[in-house]
Amino acid sequence: MNASDTTPRRWLWTGLILTALFVLVPLLLSLAGRSYFYQIANTIMIFALLAASMHLVTGVAGLLQLGHAAFYGIGGYGAALLATHFKLSFVFTIPLAGLMAALIAFLVAVPTMRLVSIYFAVATLGIGQMLHVITLNWVPVTKGPNGILLFGGMKLFDIDFSKPVPAYYLVAVIVAACVYVIHRLSHSYYGNALRALREDDQCADAMGINTPRLKLESFTVSGFFAGVAGALWAHTAGYISPADFNFNVSILILSMVVLGGLGSLPGAILGAIILIGLPEVLREFKAGDFRNIIIGIVLFGVILFQPRGLIGEVSALDFIRNQLGLGRKTKTDGKQMRVGWL
Amino acid sequence: MKNRRHMLTLGTAFALGALGLPALAQQPTYKIGYQLPLTGNTAQYGIDFKNSAEIALDQFAKAGKPFKVEIVFEDSRSDTKEGVAIARKFVDDKAIVGVLGDFTSGVSIASAQIYKEAGMPQLSQTASHPDYTKVSEWQFRNITTQAQEGPLNAEWLYASGYRKVAVIAEQTDWGQTVVSNFVDKFKALGGQVVFSEFFNRGLADFRPIITKIARDKPDAIYTGYFYEDGAQFLKQMKQLSVTIPVHSTSASYNQQLITLAGADAEGMKLTATFLPNNPAKNVQDFVAAWKAKTGQAEPGQFPAQAYDAVNIMLAALERAHPNVTRKSLRDQLAATKNFPGVTGDTTFDADREPAKKLVRAQVKNGAFVAVEK
Amino acid sequence: MDYYLQQLVIGLSLGMVYALVAIGFTLIFGVLNVVNFAHGEIYTIGAFAGLLIFVTFAPPLVVVLLIVLAVGALTGVGLERFAFKPFRRFSDEATLKSRAMREATLMSSLALSIVAREGIELFFGSQFQALPLSHMLNSPIKIGPVTIVDGDLIIFGTSFLMLAGLQFVLKYTSVGLSIRAVSNNPLGARYVGINTDRTIAWTFAVGSGMGAVAGLLVGLYYGAIFPAMGFTPGIKAFVAMVMGGLSSIPGAVICALIIGISEALSSIFVSSVWQDLVAYAFLIITLIFFPRGIFGGARERV
Repeated sequence: MNASDTTPRRWLWTGLILTALFVLVPLLLSLAGRSYFYQIANTIMIFALLAASMHLVTGVAGLLQLGHAAFYGIGGYGAALLATHFKLSFVFTIPLAGLMAALIAFLVAVPTMRLVSIYFAVATLGIGQMLHVITLNWVPVTKGPNGILLFGGMKLFDIDFSKPVPAYYLVAVIVAACVYVIHRLSHSYYGNALRALREDDQCADAMGINTPRLKLESFTVSGFFAGVAGALWAHTAGYISPADFNFNVSILILSMVVLGGLGSLPGAILGAIILIGLPEVLREFKAGDFRNIIIGIVLFGVILFQPRGLIGEVSALDFIRNQLGLGRKTKTDGKQMRVGWL
Repeated sequence: MKNRRHMLTLGTAFALGALGLPALAQQPTYKIGYQLPLTGNTAQYGIDFKNSAEIALDQFAKAGKPFKVEIVFEDSRSDTKEGVAIARKFVDDKAIVGVLGDFTSGVSIASAQIYKEAGMPQLSQTASHPDYTKVSEWQFRNITTQAQEGPLNAEWLYASGYRKVAVIAEQTDWGQTVVSNFVDKFKALGGQVVFSEFFNRGLADFRPIITKIARDKPDAIYTGYFYEDGAQFLKQMKQLSVTIPVHSTSASYNQQLITLAGADAEGMKLTATFLPNNPAKNVQDFVAAWKAKTGQAEPGQFPAQAYDAVNIMLAALERAHPNVTRKSLRDQLAATKNFPGVTGDTTFDADREPAKKLVRAQVKNGAFVAVEK
Repeated sequence: MDYYLQQLVIGLSLGMVYALVAIGFTLIFGVLNVVNFAHGEIYTIGAFAGLLIFVTFAPPLVVVLLIVLAVGALTGVGLERFAFKPFRRFSDEATLKSRAMREATLMSSLALSIVAREGIELFFGSQFQALPLSHMLNSPIKIGPVTIVDGDLIIFGTSFLMLAGLQFVLKYTSVGLSIRAVSNNPLGARYVGINTDRTIAWTFAVGSGMGAVAGLLVGLYYGAIFPAMGFTPGIKAFVAMVMGGLSSIPGAVICALIIGISEALSSIFVSSVWQDLVAYAFLIITLIFFPRGIFGGARERV
């Protein structure tokens, strides 16, 4: 395997995606001239980050998480509280909020790591609900149902990031960076170890993989990114309340990952685009009433008929392998063989 | 053959004439956006608002005004994500000059951030969060906040001779304001609040709370709930044979409360801005139109609020016509003085809060009636 | 003292309500080892079916109960056919016991529960619906210092009947025998000639029928029903089941009572908004510290 012949290909793909995100999309949006599209794009990107974080914990590590919205909420509340009480700029609140969410994720993961599959799932459901109840009722700290209003707006270097276009770029940069990190995590030795965990954790243990530590780490990392997404939402929306982070949101994120294909990062992002974008399109046709029911039907249909999702993991890996030309060696009979760890 | 040609020329003449007519009419149409929950678990309120808005619009169209108004309804499901998307959509549409809504304070405030940035007047019929009008000068509301209602109720209870009172309210931003405004005034008058607690909206079983209240033996209970929780509460009070008098806020004012609770609602007292048996003409017209449109016996407080909000917006449009822009509409809204609404005369003060009168009412013989002073 | 007694009695009646739902839920889980997330929705469907029947025919209560039982049973069989059966198309042991399948059935029943709830909301609207006042089960009865309602007695009686009936069916009928066989070892049961598909369908029918009746009774007890009413009882039934040792129905009932009493008693010390936290806390504590359930006898590691 020669690194030199994969590099151009890889740069081509990265370049294409970056161009699309930072040049093409804003170009199209500004041609259409409607800030509405920027708003949808922001929401899609934030949820793409959420879906990516869930992909790491559920798709790759195989830990079914039914309470993900709680970490999204902790990130949002963390950022809002830091911004209102300590007057910190968003430059600091976003990473700090991510760290807060990661800390809580760690604390949640430690006692529950022993639990298996559906019991873990229901435990995360219970914990997610508990966190929601606490946010709703611990009024002295979180202001409870009153929510938190961020008056400050976002200003840095004289650029007002509350305007649609700068906000889009800010969110795009942060989300792209985070998704890249998640991508590197899941397509690496580390990611493979997590996948081994997903397939059979007892086997993985027997092979020498430190199972509890890996579970803890993947859970914490996914909590971090969910927190960053929450902080982004808090700053761009300017107001948060406990209702933004309830069980329905957890289910929405789960549906995105399932729809796109468990274990496939492009799939998770595609799932986010579809599940946020489609209802907006349907809004035009006044079919809004059926949004939630469509999510349920889609989720059911995917699980039943196409459990691999739209871009299943295997297909996604193949696709990436093929495009990046990684790890192929020509055997003596002229056929191609996959080698290496990607 | 000849007939055909005649028909053709006649037809063309008609078509040209029909095309010409609108040009002659020259009536401008102004668009108002209305964001409200038409689906989801608060849909019943949104659908009520839509009905009120359509009644108001109907009456307006028949009144021979020099312009037409169209309302664009969008479903926000009381979800912030949807609310901000709709706000952006309205802002983008240059033809929309003003916005009504949303139902919950949370969505209203999140949308307000966008309306503030883009400069669009927003009038909410029910957002009662204290910070809502503080977002910017573009935010208006026509519902009396608890800042006005709480002290009024405190005075009423004190004047009725109650000195020890229990307070419960739903755990929402509105519920928080119910409790704080009432308690502050009641204590200032010299009364004592022996019990104060919140409950989650949608709670099915109030009996633990009722038992706790009964133990503290208050003279009266002041409640902050909407009609669904109110009905459950009243039914279970009866079950546990607790006969302490119950007072409530204008949010309980809804015929559904009596339908759900039946005879157990008898005797509950509340303040209201809207009473359907008010003989004033505009109230009776609204009640009749409501009955005709929805088949329900009477509209509640919230639909009445929406009806007034739409009419306030229309009146401001009329004053701003023919120079209607978002800024001029905002200025005209701010200039609303003594608007004769069905929920009372409305004037917006410097903070764009409404100053309205509240009446005292109670449930008697299965209906809401005003209490004689 | 009266105060605490009254709270205790309220807690008992709360617990009875949870127990009603837990019985059907535990039966399904105990036999099939699948979490039926849609059980809460069957509970809701039972309540709304009852509403429809009352509004159209207004027959006596017992007739309505029987019709709702049938409706619930049919819905349960349909649910099984759609959400659970397709995942049994591979009959090898490894697949049947695999984690992926358990998670897949959890998610498919979750998806169906969303569809069902949204469907009810679209059809009936999301607001509280009142059941006819004349049929409601809440005329108070004073026993000494405490007040209970006739609904409490009816719910108690029904749970008792359900429990006793289930034990009878499981021990003394052939259907019960096949249910016990399938719950013990599905593959082995098939080898000895038991029609597993039919048995599973029967289990769902019985469990869901009970769930639907529970929904109707609770609707009559509180007097108001709404489309999202099944979510919380569903979760609490799951908690009761886990606490009770996963496949023990009497254990689940006792734990449901414990949850109910704890909720009512907790309201003595803290505001009622924290009530839900009690059930979730029990869930976490049980999962972490008592993997075999409080009453032991779990069949697998949690």
